[in-house]
Amino acid sequence: MSDHGATFDTVEPGDDLPAITVELARDYVKAHATAIGMPFARFTDEEGAKREGLPGQITPGNMTLALLARELLAWAPGGRVLRLGTTFRGLALAGSTVQLLGTVTEKDDERRTVECDVWMETAEGDRCVIGTATVQLP
Amino acid sequence: MGFADIDRSVLGREYDRLTYPPITAEELITYARTLGVTDPIYLDEAAAKSGPHGGLVAFPTFVVKLRGGQHMPMEVAKEMTLGGFDAGKDIELGAPIRPGDVITATSAITELYEKTGRSGSMWFVVFRQHLVNQGGEMVANVDSRMMQRTRGAQEAAR
Repeated sequence: MSDHGATFDTVEPGDDLPAITVELARDYVKAHATAIGMPFARFTDEEGAKREGLPGQITPGNMTLALLARELLAWAPGGRVLRLGTTFRGLALAGSTVQLLGTVTEKDDERRTVECDVWMETAEGDRCVIGTATVQLP
Repeated sequence: MGFADIDRSVLGREYDRLTYPPITAEELITYARTLGVTDPIYLDEAAAKSGPHGGLVAFPTFVVKLRGGQHMPMEVAKEMTLGGFDAGKDIELGAPIRPGDVITATSAITELYEKTGRSGSMWFVVFRQHLVNQGGEMVANVDSRMMQRTRGAQEAAR
């Protein structure tokens, strides 16, 4: 990886993406949920989420997907995410701190793309969101 | 009536089409800012001019905001009354979205299947939003996977 981020010539399968720690502050989750047109109680209000039977305010799946894209583009500024697929396996609770992690799994010389595994991990080590991505690197 | 009884002719049938008003720079910037993005190509129109796209573009996952008008066809919606869960999302990205773009979203169900896990039987429905811009270029395919436990599994869990 260069000083300016990952480039196709500098990455190899097996490389880890730098871990990013994200505090899922309640106001942060609420603001983004509202911006994406999902201002539902489960995403914006602790008590409202509990009334729905949840342990507390949760992060929208769409926001966890976006955070994984943010991780990829922070690693490779100027790159293009061509595909990102995720499975929401568990709850990302608002008010908690998570880590965004990833690793390069394949490299395509012709398309100048890489395949990556990416995931969001809770403080307890649970992978609450897992995914794969195709990224075209500069 | 249950998921198993849904007429499979629903698969692939367009059930919603919505053309959005022109995308504004403000909504692209709000999306990126509230997510915590710091790269100016998603935040600053002037700075973005010297970036790789020659101007401001949407952060890639902005496309999930464009969910169309009707979330799902009625025959599926009525089976989701017990409360479904968002099980995952796959996005395939094409042309970047720029301010002024007029995006049309068409929606169809692409998969409907049952799986049995530790907590019993579950149904999965995959909805696809196909997004194109005013020039007919593919902007994105967004596949959303909703999971619904069957009534039997829900009752057993109580």
